[in-house]
Amino acid sequence: MNKTILTLFILYLVLIPVQAVVFNNLILFNVAIPIVFIYVIISLPMTIGTNVALTIGFFTGLTMDIFMDTAGMNALACTVLAFVRRPVYHLYTTPEDDAMGMMPGTRTMGTAAYLKYLFSMTLIYCLTLFSVEAFQFRNLPLMMLRMACSTAFSFIILLAVSAFVRTRKPSMHGA
Amino acid sequence: MNEFFNFFHRHSKWLVFLIYVILSCVLLVKSSPYQQHVYLTSANTVASAVYGGANNVTSYFNLRQNNEDLNRRNAELQAEVIHLQQRLQDLSEKYGTDTMRLDSTVMPFRFIVAHVINNSVARPYNYLTINKGSADGVKPEWGVIDQNGVVGIVSNVGTHSARVISLLNPNFRLSCKIKGSEYFGSLVWDGNDPRMALLEELPRHTQFTPGDTIVTSGYSAVFPAGIPVGVIEDSGDHRAENFFTLHIRLLSDFTGLNNVQVVVNNLRQELKELESTDDNGETKKYPVN
Repeated sequence: MNKTILTLFILYLVLIPVQAVVFNNLILFNVAIPIVFIYVIISLPMTIGTNVALTIGFFTGLTMDIFMDTAGMNALACTVLAFVRRPVYHLYTTPEDDAMGMMPGTRTMGTAAYLKYLFSMTLIYCLTLFSVEAFQFRNLPLMMLRMACSTAFSFIILLAVSAFVRTRKPSMHGA
Repeated sequence: MNEFFNFFHRHSKWLVFLIYVILSCVLLVKSSPYQQHVYLTSANTVASAVYGGANNVTSYFNLRQNNEDLNRRNAELQAEVIHLQQRLQDLSEKYGTDTMRLDSTVMPFRFIVAHVINNSVARPYNYLTINKGSADGVKPEWGVIDQNGVVGIVSNVGTHSARVISLLNPNFRLSCKIKGSEYFGSLVWDGNDPRMALLEELPRHTQFTPGDTIVTSGYSAVFPAGIPVGVIEDSGDHRAENFFTLHIRLLSDFTGLNNVQVVVNNLRQELKELESTDDNGETKKYPVN
């Protein structure tokens, strides 16, 4: 459990600057922006309570807002993401799976379930974020295109990140 | 009473969720970028350190294009200097030398050279971060230009960094005119293409041809008159309106910004002080003898 928290903290310290410096400049055709720092929230173990997850989500989003000058937009979307995390997770798994205190991943959830969970979370995040943008700026077709392309692009990059970060399977002789 | 606490305990996640949503919304609707505290912008110490570090690497990427732009600008300015010297020579021969001497008070503008360390072009409201701040004398509401034209206006200032509202931000309207005429309009970004902007509220009887240059009008104290902004691409559909809305191709390449200059208007400070004393009815700053 402690190791998981340490992993998550390192992920936060690495992914936020990398998002700000690399992924925010990796825009395809001026529509698709890869959003990768949400991996921190997606990977929170289910043993972490919703209140704590909401707090982590809000402050992760706020950090990103400060870097991106988007004042509250990412904070709002991350709060929503942290809130729906558990219901979305339980759509694809049974409740007894989440007692182990591990990060959701292909090895802990099974590949199919994890892919569905990852895609749903990415879609929810992009939906929230681009809906908020659509309120500020009325070009709905362009916003829809941005949302769809960003979801797809983020999903691909998030897959790569989750393949890179090792999620340990519970072993009988301890971790 | 126990029931009451139980209720909150059972629904605490909704409560926490609501608190954070409300906090986010407060940040979101505080619309004016000038009102934000500098800690909540990319001009704060940590963010600017991260961006500054990355910029040490990425600033080399566009050097060739930047050099070409600077060379071209240099040639233009050289030609202008020669032209003005010629004119000064002609006039001083005509009127006598002494009356033509330039005083520093009629040259109110100077420039602080800065580097762009963070930039965005794909969001509805774009900002950029530069590596000069209050320690270098940068102040809010000062203009920012590069060798090609107008870039933006400073909104929040940290010690060694400042956040600039990009021209690609609908919060920023710029008073512009067509070079060589006195008709002016308001330039604003429509949020679609980082290379294009709209010049609105141009009077219907304005004469222009596509390809004409758009320059700053100089009606605000932020930018000197005559800084190039863009060229007219075409005029949109405007049969029923009293004003033209023109599509402008911007001269600054916002995707590859690197070297910029902050415009310092020495007279502007005086103007502001005068205005503020007027508002408060105070005159003690200026002793009357």
